[in-house]
Amino acid sequence: MLQEVRVGLLPRLRDARGEELLYEIRTALGIEGVEAVRTVKVYRFEGVDEQAARLLAERLLSEAVFQEYRINEPLITDADRLVEVAYRPGVMNPEAGSLMKAAADLGVKGLLAADSSMEYAFFGQLSERALETITRRLLVNETVQQVVVKRPETLLLGGEPGRTLTIPLRAMDDAGLMALAADRLFLNLEEMRLIQGHFRKLGRDPTDAEVEILAQTWSEHCVHKTFKARIIVNGQEKKPFLTRLKEATADVARGDLVLSAFVDNSGVMQFYDGWAICGKVETHNAPSAIEPYGGAATGSGGVFRDIMGTGQGAKVIASTDVFCFAPPGTPAETVPAGCLHPHYLLRRVVAGVRDYGNRMGIPTNNGSVHFHPDFRAKPSVIVGSYGLIPAEQAEKGLPRPGDKIVVAGGRTGRDGIHGATFASAAMTDRTMTVNAQAVQIGHAVEQKRMADALLIARDEGLIRAITDCGAGGFASAVGEMGAQTGARLHLDRAPLKYSGLAPWEILLSESQERMVAAVAPENVGRFMEICRDHNVEAAVLGEFTDTGRFEAYHGKEKVLDLEMEFLHHGLPQRELSCSFTAAELTEPEIPVPADWAGLCCQVLSHLNVCSKEPIVRVYDHGVQGTNALPPYGGVGGDAPNDAAILTPILGKPYGIVVSHGLNPVLNKIDAYWGGVWAATEAVANAVAVGANPRELALIDNFIWPVPEGEFLAHLDRAVDACADFSRALGLPFISGKDSLSSTYRGSGETIHIPPVLCISVLGRLPDVAKTVSADFTDKGNPLVLVGSRREEEMGGSVYYDLHGCLGRSIPRIDINRLPEVFLAVHGMITSGTVLACHDVSEGGLAAALAEMAFGGGLGAEIELPEEVRPDFFLYNETAGCFVLEMAPGADPAVLLTGVPHLLLGKTIPEPELRFSHGRRPLFTVSLQRLRAAWQRPMKEVFGA
Amino acid sequence: MRPPVIVLRTDGTNCDVETAFAFELAGGAPRLVHVNRLRSGKEKLNRYKILAIPGGFSYGDDVHSGKILAVELISFLREEISGFIAGGGLVLGICNGFQVLIRTGLLPFGELGRIRTTLMVNDSARFECRWVRLRVEQSACVFTRGRAGEVVEFQVAHGEGRFFTENATLEEIEARRLVAFRYVGPDDRPAQDYPENPNGSLNAVAGLTDPSGRIMGLMPHPERNILAHHHPNWRRLRDPLSVGTAGRFIFENAVAAAKEA
Repeated sequence: MLQEVRVGLLPRLRDARGEELLYEIRTALGIEGVEAVRTVKVYRFEGVDEQAARLLAERLLSEAVFQEYRINEPLITDADRLVEVAYRPGVMNPEAGSLMKAAADLGVKGLLAADSSMEYAFFGQLSERALETITRRLLVNETVQQVVVKRPETLLLGGEPGRTLTIPLRAMDDAGLMALAADRLFLNLEEMRLIQGHFRKLGRDPTDAEVEILAQTWSEHCVHKTFKARIIVNGQEKKPFLTRLKEATADVARGDLVLSAFVDNSGVMQFYDGWAICGKVETHNAPSAIEPYGGAATGSGGVFRDIMGTGQGAKVIASTDVFCFAPPGTPAETVPAGCLHPHYLLRRVVAGVRDYGNRMGIPTNNGSVHFHPDFRAKPSVIVGSYGLIPAEQAEKGLPRPGDKIVVAGGRTGRDGIHGATFASAAMTDRTMTVNAQAVQIGHAVEQKRMADALLIARDEGLIRAITDCGAGGFASAVGEMGAQTGARLHLDRAPLKYSGLAPWEILLSESQERMVAAVAPENVGRFMEICRDHNVEAAVLGEFTDTGRFEAYHGKEKVLDLEMEFLHHGLPQRELSCSFTAAELTEPEIPVPADWAGLCCQVLSHLNVCSKEPIVRVYDHGVQGTNALPPYGGVGGDAPNDAAILTPILGKPYGIVVSHGLNPVLNKIDAYWGGVWAATEAVANAVAVGANPRELALIDNFIWPVPEGEFLAHLDRAVDACADFSRALGLPFISGKDSLSSTYRGSGETIHIPPVLCISVLGRLPDVAKTVSADFTDKGNPLVLVGSRREEEMGGSVYYDLHGCLGRSIPRIDINRLPEVFLAVHGMITSGTVLACHDVSEGGLAAALAEMAFGGGLGAEIELPEEVRPDFFLYNETAGCFVLEMAPGADPAVLLTGVPHLLLGKTIPEPELRFSHGRRPLFTVSLQRLRAAWQRPMKEVFGA
Repeated sequence: MRPPVIVLRTDGTNCDVETAFAFELAGGAPRLVHVNRLRSGKEKLNRYKILAIPGGFSYGDDVHSGKILAVELISFLREEISGFIAGGGLVLGICNGFQVLIRTGLLPFGELGRIRTTLMVNDSARFECRWVRLRVEQSACVFTRGRAGEVVEFQVAHGEGRFFTENATLEEIEARRLVAFRYVGPDDRPAQDYPENPNGSLNAVAGLTDPSGRIMGLMPHPERNILAHHHPNWRRLRDPLSVGTAGRFIFENAVAAAKEA
């Protein structure tokens, strides 16, 4: 029999979690009638008696100073409703391991399994329907959780090991091939025929493991078929997308900066004193769409492992998060079938990133959130990670024949099977139910201890090559590492979470928190010892060979035997063609506004401009002791900065700079100029804090609708924008990722999610003392706008959006003039003539000035030139422009000779923004009013 | 001689490197040691003068923050810890380390295994990272020696930091002057309201000492304010070195006291 222990707060104490839930019931769901909510933690133990349960309750589970407990009976008996929520069987509860450990530490014998869950007690009038809504929307994500309706009989998962099946592929007709592909392999008919042809040639049928590994390796997610394809636009052949980015990087010839680009799990650039820094940015859109907490958490976890799997293993030093959602106020009836509401998605995605990064001790310092109604079918969740590594260990390792294949970290379960193929498929209204197993929750502490162990193993020189088990699991990790040599795997040697897995499932499982290392035989003993010392499970699964084949066994049975050549190069290059026609858009006629101050508040409270501080506050941005520029600073700690600066080597002045740029709505007008904007914004953000525009590297992320027809043509232009930008600025791309499935196909409805190009920037600077923040420092200082723009280019702006328009006149940034602007700003920051700097982006000049003023507790007096249209002047969003607070006495005309600039006015002691148009006053608005408008939207969502 | 400092780490510890660096800067000789090495006897506490339990999420903060590590220390290292303290060893717990010290009973009364106070989920019910103002209180604490009455700024980053106990215990703590740090508002007076008091701690308690003054724990992170660029507004401070490195004295006092012992 299971022992159940319930632990709750003493009745006289406030239940903060219960109150938080009550707040959400009232505000997010609008349900009245619930008077109070209290929470109870439920623990279950298998294999021990009631006496042991009592010992655990008293010594481990509860503290009498504020809690009470019950054993095998309810704790709250007077509630009107009780709902218990637990993880589904087979979903790993990270707490279970700690319960087992602590019980053993306390001397409890015989414990076979442990689990924990939450019980919610509702007091007040609550209809069955309201309870169901609360349960479904706030308590349970059915993908991983369930309501416990009856006391479980056992916590143990059993099952006979599944067998390897032979798939009668050779005899299948096209319908049979496509039936096999649907919902399982996500390959097209041509690819299925290719596999069929291969096995006909071999004269045998494939095993299920072989079919699965081919589908996985050939998935868009892993092989990036589109980015490697021949592209024909308007009848003319162009180079493959990836080739264009690589050639631009080769042309800018920054061998002094780049150590590794596009070949490893992250891109690596030189740092100082023999160190290198690396960066990788990933997307986790599909999993986050169906289980936002787990999807975002494992997205962070995965990109951290990309850093850990760079060279011989890097230390993770920073995390970033960039999200695109539909507005949180989206009416529920407009959310497509099979999709979750954006209010819930936003909160749960933030919670996922928070819990993984905070628990692993990775500071999250840079990010942004963008809103557009068309993200209602699928959000974009972009998670980045940066690392530090000795330069001499930064080159991608290659296993040698005879090296052992060692897996370290978490156990293998049925989690995330088909994640790679699933991520490559478009969402449908069946996605939520059919692909539930494709997501899992993360276990950050498992990964942290593994990271601790691996860094020691790296420092002792024990690791020849290392990679993470990401999409495709062992199949992908071992298949890629052994591509040049060959590999032999013994799947039965993998530590499993539970029995009952078929060999192909072990091969393909995407269980998180696992890394695969190539370790020379003489180093295996020491490697395993380090793992044991850190409570990290590790196992030798096989060895790298010189056969050029990928073989896998389960016991004596051979379940996989494929040539690496066919696996990695059997897929022919695709040819994709499209034709480009510019979108048919019109330019709106916007009347000159009447209420200028009210308009300014409206712009500041637009979702794409408003403060995101409540999100940032739940991320630990100070851990590791490296922060030199926080995401929010200034006198009240509430004014945003443009980039993160960290000093990863404690005690040294060396800084790494991390920033990014994106503006999805611009890509709906023109993906070329939208792409230029994103890249310009990313670099401008880094330059605004003091980065040298010649000491940066770029990372691309394309999140695009399924690249067919016009979307392929737009993608083509976005890639051209990146390559042109790279050459004009002399900056290399070192890493990138594409996710080309942002299309939703429901019953009778197709939604193309706005194309997203996110450019991330990684840079270095020799002395963090020579950097600036965005907050005004003192009254009476000159304010200068630097950079060139055409004010009438308002297309895609927040200002237009407030009028319900998209427009056509997208900012066409002159990339050839950017270097002189960037270098001038950098030079003035370094020499100390700039006291504060902020780049202009969404919300335009007015938003930039307001944010600088919030930070300084100071106002500004701005004179608009007579000849400009004031609303366009204030709300134009051309990237690559900066507002500078200059030191007293600094003469902009002298310092900025030949660089486009305009003296705007000066800082003033009064907490207000004063604008005049020529000599005529235009409007004055208090910082208090602006700040309230600017902070309101996210405070409402997060209840801060 | 640099006094040896053991910076204890385990699964989920994540402020160990910067805590060690803070001791290094203060003149100590820190070493990162996994708790498994103490359990196996490969390392002995009595080789060290200072035990630091850094921040993080030890064992995922499962059950309660710091609980699993506290149970482990009480179950396996009770005599060793008692001996270390009896021999004049100093103990510092920061954030998760403070949670561990509270849950072992070492704070505030130095009673290993007897838990009379706790740290609950923040009143806001969420993890938060922000800078707070703290007043150093008059106490026997050696870590804050000579600093009573000063106001410093440190960062907090936690989800379970609300100090709570019964009224009688709280009165005893106050009467015996065991409060080492309190959250204060702009007027330097103890703050009960969010966000100056970021978690709703009773009597604005942010840190505690034991009666001997040689064991101290606090929720905020002094090790995140020891370099000139640590303070979030170091660029606008008139005297960045005095404000911006305000966390150093805790480590310097510890090292000085360890040298005397």
